[in-house]
Amino acid sequence: MSTLSEHGIGGIFQRYPIITRILKNILIFIVTMLILSVVVFVIARLAPGDPLVAFYGDAIETMSDAELDAARHRLGLDGSIALQYVRWFGGILAGDFGLSLQYKIPAMDVISPLIGNTLILGVTAYLVVFAIAVVVAVFCARYEDTWFDRAICKIGTATYFIPSFWLGLVLILIFSINLGWFPSSGAYDFGMQNNLLNRLEHMVLPLIVMIASHVWYYAYMIRNKFTDENRKDYVLLAKAKGLSKNVILWKHSLRNVAPTIVNLMAISIPHVLSGTVIAEAVFNYPGIGNMAVAAAKYHDYNLLMLLVLITGAMVILSSIVAYMINEVIDPRMKDSGGSVWEK
Amino acid sequence: MDNVLELRNLSISFTSPEGTINAVRDVTLDVHKGEVLAVVGESGCGKTVMCQSVMKLLPKNSKIDRGEIILDGTDITNYSERNMRKIRGKDVSMIFQDPMTTLNPTIPIGKQITEAILVHNKISREDAKKRAIELLDLIGIDDPVHRFNLQPHFFSGGMRQRCVLAIALASNPKLLFADEPTTALDVTVQAKILDLLLEVRDKLGLSIVFVSHDLGVVSRIADRVAVMYAGKIVEIGTVDEVFYDPRHPYTWGLMSSHPSLVKRGGELKSIPGMPPVLINPPDCDMFAFRNKYAMKADFEQMPPMFKISDTHYAATWLLDSRAPKVECPVSLRKNDDVMEGCL
Repeated sequence: MSTLSEHGIGGIFQRYPIITRILKNILIFIVTMLILSVVVFVIARLAPGDPLVAFYGDAIETMSDAELDAARHRLGLDGSIALQYVRWFGGILAGDFGLSLQYKIPAMDVISPLIGNTLILGVTAYLVVFAIAVVVAVFCARYEDTWFDRAICKIGTATYFIPSFWLGLVLILIFSINLGWFPSSGAYDFGMQNNLLNRLEHMVLPLIVMIASHVWYYAYMIRNKFTDENRKDYVLLAKAKGLSKNVILWKHSLRNVAPTIVNLMAISIPHVLSGTVIAEAVFNYPGIGNMAVAAAKYHDYNLLMLLVLITGAMVILSSIVAYMINEVIDPRMKDSGGSVWEK
Repeated sequence: MDNVLELRNLSISFTSPEGTINAVRDVTLDVHKGEVLAVVGESGCGKTVMCQSVMKLLPKNSKIDRGEIILDGTDITNYSERNMRKIRGKDVSMIFQDPMTTLNPTIPIGKQITEAILVHNKISREDAKKRAIELLDLIGIDDPVHRFNLQPHFFSGGMRQRCVLAIALASNPKLLFADEPTTALDVTVQAKILDLLLEVRDKLGLSIVFVSHDLGVVSRIADRVAVMYAGKIVEIGTVDEVFYDPRHPYTWGLMSSHPSLVKRGGELKSIPGMPPVLINPPDCDMFAFRNKYAMKADFEQMPPMFKISDTHYAATWLLDSRAPKVECPVSLRKNDDVMEGCL
C-alpha cells in the first residue's frame, strides 16, 4: 500500500507495466473499431441497392412523397451521410444496431439465436484444426524427408484441394443417404437444441468438411517453420551438446516456433470461421455464415454491417491477444525494456 | 595415448542433384593432447566438413566413404546416433562461427548451459546451476549470478561467443572444435576470445582444432598448422615450419595474400581462380590448375605426403628429388614481426 500513497496512480503503472500494456491495447482496439465502423458504414451506403427498396419492396412504388420521407426517417436514411453515421453509431452505443431490412426486426435479434450455433461449430472446428495441425507438423518435422513425411505431405495437399462443397455433398451421399449414420442438415433436431449429443451428431459432417479444407494449410505452414528452425545454428549447437532430437524439437525449436503458431492461430480465426459459410450452406446449418450470405443477397445492410463489425472485433481482439501472448513467449518482443536494470 | 583424435584416410562425400561431392578426400591427421591445431584454407576446402564429421553433425546426405575416426583411442567411425549423443559435448565439443545465431534466442543463457551439464552429468539442478555460474566466471562473464537468467539478446557478440564456449566446456571435453569462432567478431574482441581459448586450454588441458582462414589469427594461437585444399591436407607442420618455411605452392599463395605476413613493401598477391568443385575430382594434384609451378606430374598423379622434418609434411611433387628446385617466392617477415603484425 505504501507505493500507492507514495506514487499515486502513476505508481501502479510503474509497478505493474502489464496494466499500462492492457490499457494501451484497449485504446488500440477502440480506435481500430472506430475506423472499421466508418469504413463499413461508408461501403454499405455506397453499395448498390436502395435500403428503402430492400425494406418496403414494391410497396414504395405506390407511396406518396410524404410517406417516403417518413420511411427514410424511420430507417435513418435522411440527412447527410455524416449525420447518418453519427446517428447509426450513437444507436450502436445504446445497443441498437438498426432494423434488419429483410426481417423487419432489430438486426441483433435476427442474429443472436444463430451466433451460438456458428460459434459451437466454428470454435470446435478451429480447435480441432490446430490440434491436428500442430501434431502432424511436429511429426512431419521430426521425420523430415522420410517416407512418412513425404506421404503425409502428399495426402495433406490432396485433401486441401478437395472443394468443400463437393466434399460436403459426397459426405451427405455416403453417410446420410447410404449409411444413414449422420443427419444431412440442421444444427439439431426439433426441440433438441440443448441435447449435446444431438448437436454433435449434426456437427460431424460439417466439421469434417471444415477440417479437411483447413488443416493442411496450417499444418504445412507450421511444419515448414519447424524444418526451417531445425536448420538454424542453435539447433546445431544443441545437437553438439548431446541433446536428443526429441528434446531439441520440443524444448528448443518449439519455443521459437510457438510465436508463429500463436500468430497463425490469431489471424486464422476469421479464416476458419469463414469456413463455416460453406459448411453452413451445404448442410443448411442455421448460423451467421448462412445469414451473411442471405443478407448480402437481400441488400440487408444493417444486418451485414453488424456481422462485419462482429467479425472485425473478433479479428482485432484475437491479434491483440496473440501479441500479448507472444510477448510472454519471446521476451524480445517486449517494447518497454527495463529489466536490464533490475537487480 | 598421445593423440586425442586420429583421422585415418578419412573420405566424406555428399550426394547432390549434380552428383557426388567428395568434400573430404583421404585425410590423415593426428591431434595431440593439449595442442592447438589450426586448419587453414579457402572457403569450401572441407575444413568444416572434416570437423563436423567427427561429431557426426553433418546433414543426412553426407556419408563417410572410407577411413576411420579414432577419438581418444576408440574407433567411433560407425557409432550410432545414440552412441554419438553420449560423446557429443562430453568428449568432444564445438563452437561455431556466428555467436549471434548459435544460441537459442528464447532460452536464458544459464538454462542453456545447465542443460549441457545435465545431459552428461547425473547431478542435481542446483549443482548444475553452481557449475554453470563457475563456467560463466571462468570464461570471463562479469556478474554471472545475475546474467545467468538473461536471454542471449542482452549480450554482445563477444559475450555470446563466451557463452557458447561455456556450453562447449560444460562437461570438460577432451577436444574442442572451434569453427572460425572469431570470424564474426571485431578485431579487439577477436584477440580477447583467442586469449581466452589459450587460457582455457592451459587450465583444462584440452586440445583445440581451430578452423580459420585468417592466417594472422592462426599464427597467434596455433601450435601446429594443417593447410587444406580441395578436401585434402596439403601441408602440415608446426607454426614456425609452415609460416617460415612453407613448401607447398598453395601455402605460398595463402602467405603472399596476407598483408601482415608479407614483408613491408612486398607485393600482395591473391591466388588466381577458385577452389574446384569436388564432383568426380581427377586423381591428381587439385591445385595444379591454379599453380604456376605445376609440372606435368601434378596433372597426372596425386602427390604423396613428402616428409620434410619429423613434424613437417607437404603434398607436392616439387619436393620430389627429380623436380626442379623452386624457391618460396614470398619474402616472408621474420618471426617476431609476424606476431607483432597480426592483431
